[in-house]
Amino acid sequence: MPMAGVGTPVPPTVPPAANNNATPNAQNNAAAAPATAKTWELSDYELQRTPQEAVTDNTEIAVSPRALHSELMCPICLDMLHQTMTTKECLHRFCAECIITALRSGNKECPTCRKKLVSKRSLRPDPNFDMLISNIYPSRDEYEAQQQKALASLSKTHNQQALATSIEEGMKAQSQNRKAIAKANAKSNQDGTESIAESANNPGVPATPGIPPSATPSEDANTTRVQPTAAGPSQTPPTNNGAPTSVVNAGASKPPTKPESIGDNSSNTSAVSDEITEVELVFKPHPAMQTGTSDKSASLRTDHIQTRFIKTSGNATVDHLKKYLGMRLALDAQQGGQAEDEGPYHKCTISIRPHGEFMNIPDGLTLGQICDKYWRINKPLEVYYHWKKWSNN
Amino acid sequence: MAQNVSPRSGFGGSRKTNEGVSGGSKDTHSVSKRLHSELMTLMMKGDKGISAFPDGDNIFKWIGTIHGPEETVFSGLTFKLSLEFPSGYPYTPPSVKFISPCFHPNVDTAGNICLDILKDKWSALLDVRTILISIQSLLSEPNIESPLNTKAAQMWKNQETYRKHLTEVVHKNSN
Repeated sequence: MPMAGVGTPVPPTVPPAANNNATPNAQNNAAAAPATAKTWELSDYELQRTPQEAVTDNTEIAVSPRALHSELMCPICLDMLHQTMTTKECLHRFCAECIITALRSGNKECPTCRKKLVSKRSLRPDPNFDMLISNIYPSRDEYEAQQQKALASLSKTHNQQALATSIEEGMKAQSQNRKAIAKANAKSNQDGTESIAESANNPGVPATPGIPPSATPSEDANTTRVQPTAAGPSQTPPTNNGAPTSVVNAGASKPPTKPESIGDNSSNTSAVSDEITEVELVFKPHPAMQTGTSDKSASLRTDHIQTRFIKTSGNATVDHLKKYLGMRLALDAQQGGQAEDEGPYHKCTISIRPHGEFMNIPDGLTLGQICDKYWRINKPLEVYYHWKKWSNN
Repeated sequence: MAQNVSPRSGFGGSRKTNEGVSGGSKDTHSVSKRLHSELMTLMMKGDKGISAFPDGDNIFKWIGTIHGPEETVFSGLTFKLSLEFPSGYPYTPPSVKFISPCFHPNVDTAGNICLDILKDKWSALLDVRTILISIQSLLSEPNIESPLNTKAAQMWKNQETYRKHLTEVVHKNSN
């Protein structure tokens, strides 16, 4: 037993002659069994040997991984020992769960050596050994959590059939929504209740199997789509401006089904199939904009140069981005007490800066295409907007 | 669970309870995990004279092969066995049967094996490898006292006729 010296350091002061008490375990058994029942017959080797001394200096002893593994392994589950239990008499180790199940289901004997094990009381927990393992493998919990995760994702793929059907359902609902919104847009364009998300409507719905798309098409047409897409950390909440009647607020005060499904969107995106991917983007003004708006009032200027964090479908196009920006600015202007219509979205230019140089991108490109072509790095897409002159005012 | 069961009810009863309880998906996972690691060690170690592999996609059903031990009447012959693992494995033994015809005192004509470690002497520590090794040694050292195949038990004394009959049985069935 190479581990003996490490696990249970035996005081070197014990004289070899006191054989019956040479190890703690012998003491244990002597106490457990009445002196009348058993006598200890020790072999010559046992009579001769001295206890191993604990290694206390910085000596390093190389142990092969295989040898180590066989020492730390539970022979029942063939995994690393978990909540080690040691048989009191024969000193074989098992996971608590394994040995208890084994005693319940089979013979009342040690699985390793067939020594009689009357009950759980023939076992004792071995916290020293657990500590030993956690010292050797400090990241074990992490490892097990990872295993669990892998298992979960495995069982998810078993449910792929269910997922596929639910994606199909979601797509149908989406196309219905799209038609309804297209109609509604015709009416509502002047209200400014449209946004980038109209074609990217509810991208997360297919990712929640079992939950049918909650919003009916008509409901969707009424709900402003600013909410799901424009929610971002840097955005000042509209209520701060003291204009509770604004369109955005109307969206926010909708029944809670809407914001909840938004939450689902973000947490489930990783599970969505490749067809429906979401794009995270940082939407900020072109550097030229920040200096070129000095004629504007201070409050409005901060709105204009605000950086927005957006998460939307990869199917959304540059044109959608422009419309969203225009509407967003118009709304902010309204809240700021200034009457403005749709704004100059049609005049603004959208650009990205893939290699340090600004590059304008045409309206028709989708965000997904931009990412594929120019933005092959693992961080949110950075998009810049700017226009030459604020047409109103 | 088992504490509520009278110990007198014997072990068939308590084993049944266990199988019923441990049929859940989590336990199935731990069973297949153990079987996977058994398969790994079997393939790494490569014991001589025995081998085993899952039968198709089902990890709970294996086919094992045993080579007849050298210097016995079984030398030069190979035997195929089926191993089926219950959901209570390794707490309950797998059911092991000869698929290939085998003329042996402790194997009946249907391939059932009379071996204590597969019944009441089962231990959770036993695995596919040790089972196959045990069966291999059973071939060369039959227990004549409690035969399943009395004809084989009687013939065992005369190894020459035994070998002749064994070859006949093996060849007749393989054709």
